[in-house]
Amino acid sequence: MEQRNVVEIADFIARYLSYMLGAGVHTSRVVRNSKRIGDALGVDVSIHTSQKTATLTVKDREASLKDTRVLDVPVFPISFEWNADLSALSWAAYDRKMTLDEVRAKFDELVSKPKMNPVFVLFMASLANASFCRLFGGDIWAMLVTFGATMIGFFTRQHLTRRHVNHYLVIVISAFVASLCASTALTLGLASAEIALATSVLYLVPGVPLINGVIDITDGHIQIGISRLVNALMLIICIAIGMSGTLMLVKDSLL
Amino acid sequence: MEALWNSMSAYNAATWPFQLAFMAAASVLTLILLFRPCTWAKVAMKVYMVAVSLWIAFVYYMKFGSGREYSFVLTIFWCMMAAAWVYDLVTHFSSFSKSGKYRPWGIVMLMLPLCYPLISLARGLEFPCMTTPVIPSAVALYMLGVLMTFNSRINFFALIFIFHWSVIAVSKIMIFNIPEDLLLVVSCLPAMFIFSREAALSFGGPCKPPAQTISALIFVVMALIGACMLVQYV
Repeated sequence: MEQRNVVEIADFIARYLSYMLGAGVHTSRVVRNSKRIGDALGVDVSIHTSQKTATLTVKDREASLKDTRVLDVPVFPISFEWNADLSALSWAAYDRKMTLDEVRAKFDELVSKPKMNPVFVLFMASLANASFCRLFGGDIWAMLVTFGATMIGFFTRQHLTRRHVNHYLVIVISAFVASLCASTALTLGLASAEIALATSVLYLVPGVPLINGVIDITDGHIQIGISRLVNALMLIICIAIGMSGTLMLVKDSLL
Repeated sequence: MEALWNSMSAYNAATWPFQLAFMAAASVLTLILLFRPCTWAKVAMKVYMVAVSLWIAFVYYMKFGSGREYSFVLTIFWCMMAAAWVYDLVTHFSSFSKSGKYRPWGIVMLMLPLCYPLISLARGLEFPCMTTPVIPSAVALYMLGVLMTFNSRINFFALIFIFHWSVIAVSKIMIFNIPEDLLLVVSCLPAMFIFSREAALSFGGPCKPPAQTISALIFVVMALIGACMLVQYV
């Protein structure tokens, strides 16, 4: 193997792992999959990850040629599809002994699949929140109010995110708007109005970073695990700030 | 329920000249946009939307509805509605340009707020204890009519706020005995379907799921919401 080949493989694995980390895959899976692709291509891969960057070293087994690079982790929407597809790609590369060109072509095909339509996501998120409301004991009116409030909050979030407003600010504003709209249930004197209020912000809960943080820590990736948990905690604090604004306005207390 | 009707009576008795002024302004602006559309009229219509939202927030809810529980929540809600129109005014988002597609239906919806007092009279109510075209649901219905008539590019924020308001309104039909609000609900669900579907279809570039699936989903959701409302109403 020549140095040029090692660089090409490092280029591809750097791209592969940055896409996986950016899409919200937990670290041990990213490392495992990247090493598996490295195995398939005949190189050893070592990776160090942090919240925003990763360090990658690719080493040829025979000639001891190396390539090391530090890469930025891009921010993508959480994608379970990429998680599954790119993991399957690493197995396919390993099992079928695919060449670098084949793996790269397949990777490009997988990451260029069409995006989710934002209106579809808007409706599904609103339906999910209305279902949560039901699970927590809300009646049909509370569910409808939660549906509408989530729709307004989620649309606000989509709109502000498109305008590149600070992520934390987006969460604060979305939580405030959604909970304020849900608080209109109080005017109807519904018994489950408070359930509508509480469940209207559930779409903002950072479930994936929380789970990934715990998995990373239990797998020994302590640094990035803590980073992810702190990031999730910040988002939860932002939700709390937004909702507190509503509660202070509407009920004059936080309880 | 009594508190609501008392506040509405007081509101109508004290503000009917202003309500007439709002109706006249709405009529003039709508006619100009329909027959002689021009930039100043489009801006004036958005300013009118802001003004009427703030009127509902501060005069209807804050001044006359203060005796009702949590009326300030609705003041804030209508301030948010006003904010949605201010945002539109600043960003020039809605074009208020005519589109032939749903125009006839839009014109019917523009007339529907006028049916509010007629239905009240038919129910045996008398002025001032009756609904008028300048109460929250009638105003929301007028906004929906404007969006439907001039729908080449619409203010989606305002649409979702109106949809949320229609959910509140339908529950009022039963809780506060205001069947007039049925007009808003009946108009809002199809409008929400049409505008959401168009928003989904106008998304640039390839996307998933296919457009037909999204249309079907939106239709099913709106039908479900309508069915839930109907079941509760019956």
